[in-house]
Amino acid sequence: MIFSPLTILWALPMAGGALALALALRSGRRAGAWSIFISLVVLAFCAFLPWREGAALAVTGPAWAYGIHYSLSMDGLSWVMCLLNAFLTVISLIASLGEERSAGYWASFLFLEGALMGVFLTADLFLFYVFWEIVLIPMFFIIGLWGSANRKHAAVKFFLFTFFGSVLMLLGILALVTLRHRATGVWSWDMQGLKGVASGPAAWAIFAAFVVGFGVKVPIVPLHTWLPDAHTEAPAAGSIMLAGVMLKMGVYGFLRIAIPVFPDLSWHLLPWLAAIAAINVIYGAFCALAQSDLKRLVAYSSIAHLGFCLIGVFSRTTEGLAGGTLQLINHGITTGALFLMVGILYERSHKRGIRDFGALFAQAPWLTFFFSVSILASIGLPGLNGFVGEFMSLAGAARVLPVLAVAGVVGVTLAAVYALPAYQLVFWGDRGPSSVSSHVTDLSAREQALLWVLCLAMLYIGLHPSGLLSVITPATKGLAL
Amino acid sequence: MSAAVLGGLLAPQMVLAAGVLGVLGAGMAAFNPKFIKSLMILAILGAFALAFGARPGAGDALIGLDGLGFSWQLVFYAAALPLAFLMAAESEVAPALVLGSLLGLGLLAVSANLLMLFIGLELMSLPAYLLVARSRGGAQNSVEAAIKYFFVGGAAGGLYLLGLALYYFTQKTMAFAGAASLGAQAGVALMGSAALFKVGAFPLHFWLPDVYEASDPELTGFLSTALKAGGILLLMRLAALSPAGPFARALPWFGAATMLFGAVLALRQERLQRLLAYSSMAHAGNIVLGVGAWAALGATPGAAVAVFFYLAAYLFMNNGAFSFLKASGAKTRADLRGLGARSPETASAFAILLLALGGVPPTAGFLAKLLIFWEAFKAHLYAPLLLAALGALLALGYYLALLKDLYFEDAPAAAPQLETGSGLAVLWTCAVPAAVLGVAPWILTYMSRLLAL
Repeated sequence: MIFSPLTILWALPMAGGALALALALRSGRRAGAWSIFISLVVLAFCAFLPWREGAALAVTGPAWAYGIHYSLSMDGLSWVMCLLNAFLTVISLIASLGEERSAGYWASFLFLEGALMGVFLTADLFLFYVFWEIVLIPMFFIIGLWGSANRKHAAVKFFLFTFFGSVLMLLGILALVTLRHRATGVWSWDMQGLKGVASGPAAWAIFAAFVVGFGVKVPIVPLHTWLPDAHTEAPAAGSIMLAGVMLKMGVYGFLRIAIPVFPDLSWHLLPWLAAIAAINVIYGAFCALAQSDLKRLVAYSSIAHLGFCLIGVFSRTTEGLAGGTLQLINHGITTGALFLMVGILYERSHKRGIRDFGALFAQAPWLTFFFSVSILASIGLPGLNGFVGEFMSLAGAARVLPVLAVAGVVGVTLAAVYALPAYQLVFWGDRGPSSVSSHVTDLSAREQALLWVLCLAMLYIGLHPSGLLSVITPATKGLAL
Repeated sequence: MSAAVLGGLLAPQMVLAAGVLGVLGAGMAAFNPKFIKSLMILAILGAFALAFGARPGAGDALIGLDGLGFSWQLVFYAAALPLAFLMAAESEVAPALVLGSLLGLGLLAVSANLLMLFIGLELMSLPAYLLVARSRGGAQNSVEAAIKYFFVGGAAGGLYLLGLALYYFTQKTMAFAGAASLGAQAGVALMGSAALFKVGAFPLHFWLPDVYEASDPELTGFLSTALKAGGILLLMRLAALSPAGPFARALPWFGAATMLFGAVLALRQERLQRLLAYSSMAHAGNIVLGVGAWAALGATPGAAVAVFFYLAAYLFMNNGAFSFLKASGAKTRADLRGLGARSPETASAFAILLLALGGVPPTAGFLAKLLIFWEAFKAHLYAPLLLAALGALLALGYYLALLKDLYFEDAPAAAPQLETGSGLAVLWTCAVPAAVLGVAPWILTYMSRLLAL
């Protein structure tokens, strides 16, 4: 059996994308409407999926060869990631309505959505790798075809960097599968039951391969250099998907594979992993501080925010794991909103520099309002979503490695240091002689609607985090020590 | 050994031999060149069908068919079809040469003896030299390249004979009888270096870029798939003589070096055919690594799935890429610019092939690389494996650069006009399998069955 609701979840967007290409060779507008329709159906389908913890919908097809199975399953972690993916795809697509786009553009986003669903759903390492890589192809075209000035370079760099990590990850996967065969005599690519198959130097090498493989996606410093280029050059909707969903694949990989397979080793290496996470937080913040380009600032802030997720996850406490995972969702929503608004600014004025604007408040009060909410959520104001995730991550870290929590708190402070002055300059500061603020018109009804949804989601998670946490915690607490 | 059994084993070769005679006769009788071309295609299809229907078995001292030979024969004949369909219908000469080269490949597949292998090797190569010399579509002086090819091929043949003499001197036989003594090992190494010449493995590759660039694109497709598969089969036969011997143990390193060398040089090429020539060298490196791993794991024919699948996938990917060159008339990277906007269908087929050549899932090229890497893992060949992984990354660099030209660059003011014709049909016939074979691993089960026949 390969048919299950989970199959629909990844196959429907892909089929929708293929149809968009087939149907709308003449009119990009029709393809856009069709794609938005499909993405809404997928979102509703995902939201109302009757999954439950313990693999109610899991499906395993017949063996292909060498123990490769088509096998999908869904737990709370998968569900929230799929939901985030479906949600942000809808946002990205509707946000793209402002410009005339070809059918290929719309189809790329649906292919991307389907491949990401596959990554989050699969329970077979072969399939995982295949989906993991397919993700690159639509994003390569989204950046390279519809990005801004330096898009060609950014697209190739993005693909090569992430492929480098993937190849290492593939070697790690191959090693695990081969070692399991040596131990049990069975070829199997199942993600379950890999704990303990590798030991000694082999375990170290495989774990290192995973850290690099997943780390490129997160991205961890110093494997991050593809990110600022890709995020800055991608079209706004592409940046939303890149930062909102694709970065999460890396942390998801840690949660789904690296830590479950090597629970002891990843605990043993906690100081080193914690150092990586702390460096991400601090380094990302300082880089953001140095930016004069608003989009690049948001891109670098993603590195810092993902560092918080890693702090929580690596702490291996119940609250840290749940908080780190929740922070993945939070960052998706908040950064999605920020990239959306930076994209709107760019669309109106063709500028992204912090000093190109000034006193936008007078010009665009709604934009100012939504930007204020989002930036406050981003720096972790209590009552909004970012606070919950960061607080839980740091609380978890404080229990196992207090110095890590200190680094995190420094990072929280730095977030305010890099975000607020930029925000102040753009929206409230004086207009310089080259200011393009006068070109910026306020949000249209469509843009307002999108941002209302995003900001209400921030507020909802901030005030009532237990809704999502009750889904996430059962799935992640098994990793806690 | 009854003549009937031998006849059954040699049926495809007989069809090819008859095809050579028939084509030449039709030429002398001044038949329409198109008819002659169809005759050649029919002979190849017939040989493929008969090879598919053959049942492996022992023949006599010279001839025998095992699963390896059986499977490789399918690759040889299938790899000749794109050339057969795409070549210009002019005279009887080229069809006769193609069929003659295939006859040599067919003999290579059924050889059960080192001397027969040599005959197959020479018969597959001689027509290829002439085919290269007759090429007019390549970028370089084809006669010069053909002479280079000829001399290098002659040197390789000489090495082979020298090795064979040494082998015979120590083993007192030319059958596949292992390599017990040092002299026999040296003989295997000498014969093996001839195979490495044919495969274009570093450092015996120097003829390859010039020859591949000087030939017509569709001929280069044939040389880089069918003839290379022949070289690989030769390599496997020799490695199997002494799977733990020094020659077999050196193969992974040859493979990794070839992979890296080809990938690095391909990165800087502007001319497409030369780029694809170096890229085919990189692929050959992967395959040689696979052969080395296969030998290290015991060199049993049934275990050669990884190499077999790689060659089968490569047959589609590379012939597809060269048929694109033929169909589009593109010579340099600049000619590709803006093609994605100008003719989206052709460009998307080529894009699929590029992703497959680069080994990106879910294409066939991915599964092929995965299987080779996996073999290397099982054989504990970690260092060559890491080098090959690095090579795969470099290789992706130039395939992405071509994708960038196709889609992200604007068309130049004077863009070359695309021809459309049979090239497109071959292009798609190659692109579709290259796209889907990677997510159809059941094909591996099927291939193992063929190899174990």
